[in-house]
Amino acid sequence: MHALKLPFILQMRQASLEWLETDAPILIYMVKATIAGLIALWISMKLNLPDPRTAIFTVFIVMQPQSGLVFSKSYYRVVGTIVGVGISLLMMGFFAQDPIWFITFFAIWIGICTAAGFKYRNFQAYGFVLAGYTLCIVALPVIETPLEVFDIAVSRFSEVVVGIMCATIISDILFPRHLSDSLLSAERERFGNVLSTLADPDSIFGTKEDVQAQATRFSSGVVGLNATRINSAYESGADRKDRQHSQHLNHEYMNLSTTFHSLKNMVRAIEPQTSPEMMSTLIDLYAPIASSLRSFRTNTFSADDLNRIIQELLEAKNTIGERVKVEQEHLKPVLDEDSYDAFTSTAYLIIRLLSELHIHCVTYLSLLKHRLSGSTSTELSRVVRFSTHTDNVLVGLAALRGSGVLLVTMGFWIATGWPYATQTITLAVVIGLLIGTLPSPLDAVINFFKGGITAVIFAAVYDFYIIPEFTSDLLTLSLVLAPVLALVAWWTTQPKWSGFSLGFVFLFMYECALDPYYKIDPTKFMESALAYLIGIVFAGAAYLLVNFWSCSLTQQRVAKILRRQIVTVCEGELTLQRSALESTGRDLVQQFSTQGRLNMRSSRLVFEWLLLTLEIGRAILSIRRSLERLYPHYRHKSIDNALESIRIFFDTPSESVRKGLLITLKDSLHELRINELPNEKVQSNRLQTVMNELALIRTVLLNIDSFPVVTEDSCR
Amino acid sequence: MPLDITLFGIQMPTLLPIFALSAVLQILVDRVMSDTGFYTYVWHPGLFRTAVFVCIFTLPCLLIYR
Repeated sequence: MHALKLPFILQMRQASLEWLETDAPILIYMVKATIAGLIALWISMKLNLPDPRTAIFTVFIVMQPQSGLVFSKSYYRVVGTIVGVGISLLMMGFFAQDPIWFITFFAIWIGICTAAGFKYRNFQAYGFVLAGYTLCIVALPVIETPLEVFDIAVSRFSEVVVGIMCATIISDILFPRHLSDSLLSAERERFGNVLSTLADPDSIFGTKEDVQAQATRFSSGVVGLNATRINSAYESGADRKDRQHSQHLNHEYMNLSTTFHSLKNMVRAIEPQTSPEMMSTLIDLYAPIASSLRSFRTNTFSADDLNRIIQELLEAKNTIGERVKVEQEHLKPVLDEDSYDAFTSTAYLIIRLLSELHIHCVTYLSLLKHRLSGSTSTELSRVVRFSTHTDNVLVGLAALRGSGVLLVTMGFWIATGWPYATQTITLAVVIGLLIGTLPSPLDAVINFFKGGITAVIFAAVYDFYIIPEFTSDLLTLSLVLAPVLALVAWWTTQPKWSGFSLGFVFLFMYECALDPYYKIDPTKFMESALAYLIGIVFAGAAYLLVNFWSCSLTQQRVAKILRRQIVTVCEGELTLQRSALESTGRDLVQQFSTQGRLNMRSSRLVFEWLLLTLEIGRAILSIRRSLERLYPHYRHKSIDNALESIRIFFDTPSESVRKGLLITLKDSLHELRINELPNEKVQSNRLQTVMNELALIRTVLLNIDSFPVVTEDSCR
Repeated sequence: MPLDITLFGIQMPTLLPIFALSAVLQILVDRVMSDTGFYTYVWHPGLFRTAVFVCIFTLPCLLIYR
């Protein structure tokens, strides 16, 4: 009996731990959202605000499981509302009498907001969305009586502020969950991933598919983690040092993953042509890195372990550098020029991987020390910014769609003269703004519509049966509302229900009788519900029409933008940081793979192009930097020639230019190699760097055939 | 202090500008406290932050509604 009991208790323990891990947070979130919503409703009813539904609606829009997200979304909601209210006061002051100008400026404003919402990331985008649709909410209902606009603007603003105060205070006081904690564990996991991937030489030199899959995991998550970091800045606890460390880690991780992938691609490309002994030399070169990491495969890092690893990596760095020089001397007479270049650039990549890994470990150690004791081991003075890039064609298209929806629904209003058509306009504009940034907008609109219909049914039951039958005061109203609010909160935690829950929140809040005094009549209810549903249909039609992103078009756009980046690197300012190059490239590809319609194969292809661009761009920057500090008489004409022909190739790519470029690169490398290296150590090192980078560019271009001349059609 | 004040020709309760000012003050205080690592010694940072804000906001309010 006793023996049986123990496993049962253990089982129960495990089950309850699992429950605490996964279900309890959702339950807590539901309770929090419901309480915040009801408090907002109560406060705005007590303050006699004309439209308490806006406050409770705000709570549900802003509420997120983690407080950092709530803070940043609230901040942008307040800013967006202020701007929107200000613009509507201006518009009503200027154009209330003149429909043509009113509609024109309305359309321009919505276009600007959609474009800006599309261009910016995270909740910044949400601020613009709000600035756009606040105009609809404030200006349209009072179009007949323009003098009331000030009152409605003030009350709208107060309601939003009440909602936001409730949401933020409740989410930070009641069982707060902090974004910085999840950031911490994500960083630890990522660091562990890096170490375990690099500890296995097969992940670079192996060709087996299962190892490949593990290695592709290496590269994901840069953009997402950066967003988490930005939002966690609104929480307390994470101070400036912490944020700096995260920025640096992210940046170093990007560099490391680029180097890793280039090394892998390089090995895969040169393997068939080279002699096995050269391959084994390369594997030997890598061996010290792997052996120092292998002892370290667990996910719990202590500072002492890390210290030891850093020490070992430092030693490995010295020995590998020496060995490469020896091997180069040894192999130079044996190999032909192509293989020699391949060897030099691969060895060079291994050295770079090692030194970047070393830096990454040092930063992580410093972060660990900072979290443990508050002191850091390295000073991080340089500010690394995560820059983004959005394609202007996509932005223009989004603006066109936003303004188009507004104009068409305005036309609908003018043609029908239906008083409820303003609600059609509002909802169509809201959807046009809000859903445009989601991965598949059309599906989201369809789900929004389903959610809307469900909400209308719920609202009808509430308006005509439950509220008049069972409520007499605020307390009873809160009691009957609580289950629906909890349900909505649960829906918002499920990613697959996101469109649905959004539609439900919008229509339920606007259709439910949440006025200070109960006033509802069936005709009005049905007409406004109909108006909202028509609005959703209009917005859906817009997404259906302005949605001609085919796979091949997306590919062409990406290729063009990446090519232009290299051209900019060739001729632009030298102050461009590698981090800017890396982060814009990654952000761009991430955006295209969510917005454009890429299949698995072509998105892998696009990722390859990205790596190529990053690698070549970095090499060009490094060549140009070395050239700048090289004495003029060591500056061979051939280096400038090589750079110029690289620029021309990426400016106007074609097969013949590519052949010419390869010959130019070969010639200039040859010329550099027959010349004597300068006696002075620093100058000689710089020239050596230029040669290494040129060899790298040449090997990369020699072995990759799909970019920038897009030959393969991977869209089928 | 008066209950209402007039700013830019708009009459509003004095609480409103006080609220805005105390929000700014709160942000500054919060920045200083998080950078000096003060929040690591606090049991419930969220509650503490809210309480600090309530203190900052209600002190001038006491002057109005005395």
